Amino acid sequence: MIDALMANILWMVFIVVGGVLISWSVHFVPVGGAPAAMAQATGIGTGTVQLAAGAGLTGLVSAGFMMNVTKDLPLILASGAVGAMIMISVTMIVGTWVYVYGVGCVPSSAKVKVDPITKYRQDLYVSQGTEGHGLPTVSFVSGVIGGCLGGIGGALIYYSLIEVGVTAGLAASASSSVTGNELVGIAAMFAIGIFFVNAVIPSYNIGGTIEGFHDPKWKKWPKAVMSSFVATILCAIVAVIAISQLGGI
Amino acid sequence: MEPLIGMGVLALIGVAATIAGASEDLESDVGSQSNPNSQVQLAPQMMFPHRIYNKAVSGEPPSNALMCSVGAAVATVLISEFTLSPLFALVIGSLVAACVHGTFAVTSTMGRAASQRRFKQPVYLDMIRSHTPVIMGYSFITTFCVLIVSYLMTVVLGHPFPLTMLAFIWGITVGAIGSSTGDVHYGAEREFQQFEFGSGLNASNSGNIVRYGESGVRNGYDNSWFCAKFGGPVTGIAFGMTVFLGSWVTTIFDPAVSIARGWLSVVAGVVIVLILIIWNWKIEVKARNAFGPYKEDKPEEASA
Repeated sequence: MIDALMANILWMVFIVVGGVLISWSVHFVPVGGAPAAMAQATGIGTGTVQLAAGAGLTGLVSAGFMMNVTKDLPLILASGAVGAMIMISVTMIVGTWVYVYGVGCVPSSAKVKVDPITKYRQDLYVSQGTEGHGLPTVSFVSGVIGGCLGGIGGALIYYSLIEVGVTAGLAASASSSVTGNELVGIAAMFAIGIFFVNAVIPSYNIGGTIEGFHDPKWKKWPKAVMSSFVATILCAIVAVIAISQLGGI
Repeated sequence: MEPLIGMGVLALIGVAATIAGASEDLESDVGSQSNPNSQVQLAPQMMFPHRIYNKAVSGEPPSNALMCSVGAAVATVLISEFTLSPLFALVIGSLVAACVHGTFAVTSTMGRAASQRRFKQPVYLDMIRSHTPVIMGYSFITTFCVLIVSYLMTVVLGHPFPLTMLAFIWGITVGAIGSSTGDVHYGAEREFQQFEFGSGLNASNSGNIVRYGESGVRNGYDNSWFCAKFGGPVTGIAFGMTVFLGSWVTTIFDPAVSIARGWLSVVAGVVIVLILIIWNWKIEVKARNAFGPYKEDKPEEASA
């Protein structure tokens, strides 16, 4: 068991890096939680974990598809990032349609006086009794960065787990059947699990709502990243032992 | 695979995803799920008893992931062990998932309404009887379309993930998208139509949801009727775009041909994201001009 861990130490480092990236990425995603669904807070009207997971897992689907045809790590990571970025930016643009055309409110932030990117005044456009609403440009860009980092993190974890399995003598070829490939299935399952662990940890920092990298809460990220670092090491040990022992069966 | 066949399959996947997104949002409107349901839950406590189905099984992503995984697991067993035709297997899988979802919906709405007895919230049995089949119908459509997407991706496009895994991931994604886009139309607009259009919900009006419909007392049907005009279709467009654009870049620039093509697909994806950022900025500027500032800039006024 110790041998298996030592033989896969590089992949474990990659898994931990991926976990830390996911944890950091969640701080960038502008989520407004339940208040945003009533246009009471800036951001996307859903929970932190759910949106980060939705974007990251879409990236995982893209990365899994890319890994099927190439073994080039940068390309796999880039495709994971692109998949997640597309999901989150499509969600945000459609969210903006609903906020502007359906609800009739101006995208505005209550945390800053001027948008750091467009330099537009924000405080005058926050309607009475709310904490801002919609997605101003800075939140949109922040969300795209979050999706990018989360996609890279998820893809890195998935790639490492597949490599652990390949080292143990398992094959990761596509089977074109509904049951799929065993190694791919278990690697994806562990990747999703590690993704959720690292998406939940930052939610304690965020506490329901965050507007993006301009939000004061964003500065708290080192705490979540340290916690994720420790948690992912434990996850990596379990995942690597489980997958590397599959080769011996 | 022939690029043309790939594009055809992709178009089918996009259509199925669009229908899944729309029906997912309408299912959460007729049964009231996810974040806007916090107001439905709050209303009786603010002395506004209502006749709206109060189903919050869980957040939308987990509940849709459960539905889709149950359907995919049943379909996988039927296809691989009983060699049933995939179409039948997907239909039967979706049917089982819809029944499971219906069970959760009934237990959660009854539990929630009953727990609010002290606020004089009635348990409308006729409402539960009439709404549950609609909820199950929508959840059947959602599950079936997500299963179609996952099945085509696994078997035809050769995605390495098993059917159940893909269905789980797309279930999480469709729930996340539905809860972030279409639900805002239900939560911020439909639930609070008695307040002036053109601003967010004032926190002091929380819980004061509209309880009377166009005719009689408002129920979940009225909400899905209204949201079917805007919230539902845009959710469908969002999920369809996510699934379609995510696969489109790799179908046009096939990374199996060469690594350079793979990088081109990444560039295409980044260009799409940049276009969306600019689009969002344009809408923001338009909204600022259309709805104007809500407050006057006092310091500047004083100096003038």
